[in-house]
Order: sequence, then C-alpha cells, then structure tokens
Amino acid sequence: MNNYRLLPLVAVVVGVCCLGYALAGEVKLIANSSVKADTISPSEIRRVFLEENNSLRDGTHVEPVLEKDGAAHQAFLREYLGRTDDDLQTYYRALAFTGRGSMPKQLGSDAEVVAYVAKTRGAIGYVSAETSAEGVKTLAIEDARNSAERKLITRVEPAYPETLKQLKIGGTVRLQLTVAPKGNVENVQLLGGNPILGEAATNAVKRWVYTPNHSRTTTEVSILFDPSR
Amino acid sequence: MNRRIVGLGFAWACFCAGSITLPAQEFKLFDRTVQVHGFVSQGFIYTNDNNWLTMNTSQGSAAFTDFGLNLSSRITDRLLVGAQVYDRNLGQLGQYHPSLDWAVADYRFKSWFGVRGGKVKTTLGLYTDTQDLDFLHVFALLPQSIYPTDLRDATIAHLGGDIYGNVSLKHGLGDLSYTAYAGHRSDSIYSGYPYYFSSFGAHITSFGGLQYGADLRWNTPLKALLIGASRMNEDITGKGSAINPFNPGAALVPYSEASKADWVNQFYGEYTVGRLRIDSEYRRYWRNQELFSGTSQSFGDVRGWYVSGAYRICKRLQIGSYYSRYTVTNVVAGALSAFYPPATDTSLPADHDYDKVITGRVDLNRFWNLKIEGHFMNGYGSGPYPNGFYTQVNPQGFKPNTIALVLKTSLNF
Repeated sequence: MNNYRLLPLVAVVVGVCCLGYALAGEVKLIANSSVKADTISPSEIRRVFLEENNSLRDGTHVEPVLEKDGAAHQAFLREYLGRTDDDLQTYYRALAFTGRGSMPKQLGSDAEVVAYVAKTRGAIGYVSAETSAEGVKTLAIEDARNSAERKLITRVEPAYPETLKQLKIGGTVRLQLTVAPKGNVENVQLLGGNPILGEAATNAVKRWVYTPNHSRTTTEVSILFDPSR
Repeated sequence: MNRRIVGLGFAWACFCAGSITLPAQEFKLFDRTVQVHGFVSQGFIYTNDNNWLTMNTSQGSAAFTDFGLNLSSRITDRLLVGAQVYDRNLGQLGQYHPSLDWAVADYRFKSWFGVRGGKVKTTLGLYTDTQDLDFLHVFALLPQSIYPTDLRDATIAHLGGDIYGNVSLKHGLGDLSYTAYAGHRSDSIYSGYPYYFSSFGAHITSFGGLQYGADLRWNTPLKALLIGASRMNEDITGKGSAINPFNPGAALVPYSEASKADWVNQFYGEYTVGRLRIDSEYRRYWRNQELFSGTSQSFGDVRGWYVSGAYRICKRLQIGSYYSRYTVTNVVAGALSAFYPPATDTSLPADHDYDKVITGRVDLNRFWNLKIEGHFMNGYGSGPYPNGFYTQVNPQGFKPNTIALVLKTSLNF
C-alpha cells in the first residue's frame, strides 16, 4: 500500500481539527439591552464572572450567565478566566457554601444563553461567535495592546465654562472613549468629575481623531480644568 | 441515641434529596430567587495503634459524619443574604448538636469595598472558611497542623462583621484582596478543647470571646500564583468547674481561664500550573492565659506548616500528597506549675506530630466523590494542647507512630 495516498486524507483531518479548534476559540460577549456599556475589558470579564464585581465601570449592574459545557464554554474559560471547568465549579461552590456569593446561572446551549440574557435585566453571557445575537447587544472586548498602540492625531481642547472659571471651580474629568476603527471617537462616557466640566470635555473629545485600527478600541483619558490658568 | 438517629436520618435525607433534585436548587419567594445548597459527608478511619480524633479508630470507626444545608438570596443588586445550618458527629465531638454555621447579610458597595455582618465565616489562611466542605478539597483531611478538625470551632466563624474588597494594581501587578473582621467567637461545648479539658477533671460550660484580625492576599502577575498573610487576635474567656488540683478529693471548684495574649499569624502561597496545584502554609499560634482567676499562667506556642501537591490525572481522578509538621510547647507558671512540668522539647512525640499523607479522589459525577487516604504519623502532640490525640480514648497510653487509613465520601448539591 502506498502511504503517500494517505497524505491528502491526513491533511484534511488535520485541517478540520485545526478549523474546529479555531472556531472553538471564537466567543463573543452578549448583554441585556439594559447594560449601558458597549465595550468590556478582559479584566472586567474576569471580575464579573468570578463574582468579584457585579457592576461595570459605568455603574451598570450585571449578572453573569455561563454555559454548562461546550466549545464556547471551554474557549471562554481558557481565554478569560484561566481556569478549568472543575476549578471554576469548586470556586463557585466555595462562595455559595460560605455565604460569600451564589451559584451563577448555567445554561445548556448558546440559544438558551441568548434567550435568558435577552429577558433578564443586567444579564451578561458568552456564546460562540457564529450564534445569532438577536434581542441582545454584543459587547466589544477591549484589546489593551491595541489601545496602547493607537495614537492621538487630532486633539481639540475643551472650552472652560466661563461661570465655573470665575467661581474658580475646576478639577479633573475622567472619560472613557470608544474609538472606531477609522479613528473617530464614537462614544464617550463620563467616569468621574464635575458634570458641567464633563459635558465640556465630552464635546471636545468627540472631535478627537486617533490612528486607524482593525477593530474598535476603548481608552480612558483625564482632562484637567485649572481655573488659575 | 435519639439525636444520633435524627442526625443520621437528616444526613440520609440530604443525601437522597441531593441525588434526586440536583438540577433544581432554587425556588422563588416574594419574587426573589432563593438558592438551596447542601452537603453530607461520611468517613471511616482505621488506625494501627493510637485512637485518633476521639474515635475508636484502632477498631475502625465510622463516627465521622457531617452535613449542612443553606439558603441564600440576592435581595438587591448589591445585597446578598443567606444562612447555613451545620451538624456533625466526630467520635466524641459534635454529637449531632446542630449549629448555625453562618448567617450573613453581605452588601457590596464597590468591588473594592463591601461589608458583611451576622455570623460570618472567618478568613484565615487558604482554607479556614471552607475546611468543613469536603467536596472542595482533594484531601479527606486537610493538614492537621493548620486545620485541626477537632478544633474547628476555634477559627470557623465569628458573630460580628467584615469589610472586604478587591483592588486591581496598576502596571499589571495583579490584584489585592483584603478582609478585616471583628466579632465574637463562641465554641461549642462539644468541641475539642472542652473535651480535652475534661481529661483534667474540668467541665467547661462556656468558651469564647472577642476575635479580630485581617487577611491580605495578592494574586501576583505570575499567573496562578497567590500569596497572602493573615493575622488574628483573640481575647477568650472559658468558664466552668474543675477538680481542685490542691485537694482532689474535695468538691469541684470554679474554673476560669482568660487570654492575656492570644494571636495567630499565618502565611500562605498557592500555585497552579496546568493540572498541578501546590499549596503551602505556615501558622504560629501563641497563647498566654491566666488560669484559675490568675493564680497561674500558661504560655503555649503552637507552630505548624505543610506543603501539599495535588494533580488531576483525568476529569474523574485526582491524586495528592502532603507533609504536615506540627509542634507545641507549653510552660505553666504560678501555683499550678507543680502539677504541669514544662513541655518544651519538640523532639518528643508528645510535643509534635509529623504527618506524611497520600490520597486519591474519584469524582463519580459533579456532585459525588470518594476518597482514600493514608496517614503516616510520627508523634501524637497531645501534651500541652490537643491535636487529634486524646488521653480519654487512649487510656493505655500513646505509641509514637500511627498509621491511619481514611475513607470518605461526600455529596453536595
């Protein structure tokens, strides 16, 4: 028997396996429409799903929903929690049996997760990338590396509200920007600071332009309003 | 006897309920979801020589049962309430007297700041708060140098409050978790310390007091490496009656003991790489007490450490091993010193317990496991402070070495 005849078959099998693995690694985060945020960072994902935090940076309450098993579940654990399913179950049980948390909802399929997230206020879950996200919103996952690499090309300084300046009211405003792949700022969230100054800062940063990128990114900026200047 | 039957019946009911209703663990009450969880474990120990953990283990003993049941509900986005009842029988300890294990209201303002109050599980080292939860651990018995199961009441919970939180460090330096607590510890009179004292003719009717401390743990940038430290201070008072040591034939006299300095320092680390997990902890427990209303004092120094490793061979099978080392010294000053000579030589079997352990755990399914474990102990460490070996169940005296076979199964839902 000529072994070379088996090579195409082996190649096909290996190819299919690799494709399957690649697909298994693709998950997307979905959330109920009540969740205000459009993006979420990997560290936020970890904290929310380990019940270290039950709200996002913008203050939105969230409730994690997991899958019981499957490719999306395994990929999610590997990529974002760094734990095996057994370790995660042990972790949740320790919380539930010591009064420090509760067992999160765990559902059997992508479809069940989508349906539950769609009807439950604050629910946040994950499904395989190809799953239809009808009725829920898909959260962009921030890529810290890309955020760091993007450079600000055009910066517009905010206008200091005259009344506040005369009253010597100043301070630092913190904003979270969502930057589109083209580089324009498509969303701004006020994270902290005087709300009037925050509005002035928001109006300015919406005109900022960053370097293009292959995906949407987020970044935090702080703007100082100094009445003595 | 009735209590034993009721207890075993309840444990069996938990077992059956768990088997039947594992998928259904919640119900609705006033439009809130209430989660229900429970566990039950049953052990058997056989030792070649000394009787261990207040059981008649040299004949083989199955007087090693515990179970718990809890309810919890998230009342608001930030408020979680719940309670757990716990009961056990361990040889002469517990005796199926149920206790409120924890009952807490937990309000989390931010990830970096939350408060919980009520009867709260005490955070001390890696496993103090989960030491009863057999199904969470690879080992049937956690290292007894740090987690003596006969003395669980000493550290398991406090009636008071905690503040806690988790802070992410900048520059990728990992995150810090902290807990600070204060409250009242109250030991069951069916726990190890009152039982130990009964060997001296004392009958302790109450034992407890203020307990406060803090824990800080760092999830380091090195993935899966955790290191931490805990500190606990105590102000404990014990009361009861005792044989008059100066006139044993006379009537019983009031007995009291009170802390002058009583603290625990604990340091720990945990590292997980793939299927391997390695833990290590060190604990020092210092206790300086006034005895018999201050007529005497005792100075006890209890030190323990262990190194353990556990490896998951496949989804259903884990193996593990640890080496646990325990030493104790005690000096009595004052009127009672004539009756209690100093115990300061930790090379003596009475003042140490070195335990080499191997174990295997089989998970029959997600909710039910079986364990088999071997303990190879040198020393019995029962001189000045209890540590698993008690004179009441060893009237013939102690032998220096003990080999123990432990079988255990537990179920949770």
